[in-house]
Amino acid sequence: MGGWGFVAAAYGIVWGVIVVYLFTLKRRYNQAAAECDQLGPSEAAAGDEKK
Amino acid sequence: MTKQRQSAKKRRGILGGLALTAILFSLYWSLVIAPPDAYQGEVQRIMYLHLPSILIAYLSYFLVFIGSGLYLWKREKRDDILAYAAAELGVLFTALTIVEGSIWGRPTWGVWWTWDARLTLTAILLLIYVGYLMLRSLIEDENRAAVAAAVLGIIGFLDIPLIHMSVYWWRTLHQPPSILRPDKLPWENVHPSMLTALTISFVAFLLLYFYLLSLRYRVGEMRQEIKALRLERGI
Repeated sequence: MGGWGFVAAAYGIVWGVIVVYLFTLKRRYNQAAAECDQLGPSEAAAGDEKK
Repeated sequence: MTKQRQSAKKRRGILGGLALTAILFSLYWSLVIAPPDAYQGEVQRIMYLHLPSILIAYLSYFLVFIGSGLYLWKREKRDDILAYAAAELGVLFTALTIVEGSIWGRPTWGVWWTWDARLTLTAILLLIYVGYLMLRSLIEDENRAAVAAAVLGIIGFLDIPLIHMSVYWWRTLHQPPSILRPDKLPWENVHPSMLTALTISFVAFLLLYFYLLSLRYRVGEMRQEIKALRLERGI
């Protein structure tokens, strides 16, 4: 493998892993947001918003 | 969704857009504009990933250190959420640093890995924070897990000065720092075209890091909200 081969491997792995992590994080975020919406606002938060 | 949440989401969107622009710009600069190194050739371009990755990992562990210290002192959940989020990102960037270093080491040193002081201490750093994440999931009592993890988060941070100084204290294969060295300024040691590529890459990683951290922090916050809501509703 030539110099560019090692460079391609490093850049490919790094950005590939970061993209996979980002998608996983987005999924965790969406799941948590959906669960929060499903449970609705807490009584304290609802009280605050009415004020 | 409250107005505060909406504006935080909007700010996060702007940060994500800026990070993406900076990443594309840094890729162009690192792979097209920056010249190959006189000795290492094209392989040196891996340094535009390697150096920003480890600096971001250090920043992350610094935030773990601060968050853990504040949590042990004040017992405020937001500090623990910050430490947990930063630890997860620290592990990601440390693992990437080791992989990049290994790919660079094969053509430059002739080996994928060697038990050099700096490499070994970096591997230990990774193991400490993998242990931190395991502690969080293995101890059932959330408050006990947070306290134990905070103590480990603070102790683990002590490895960073050791990593930085290892190239001075021991005879190592790893070269001394090119940027963060006490005797020379960065531009006295690195060619301006390479220093520019490195700076752009660092800014791109920094923006990406804060985008990921804000997203991960929000996940931690929402988990707490879910827990509180379930408790409130007796679920």
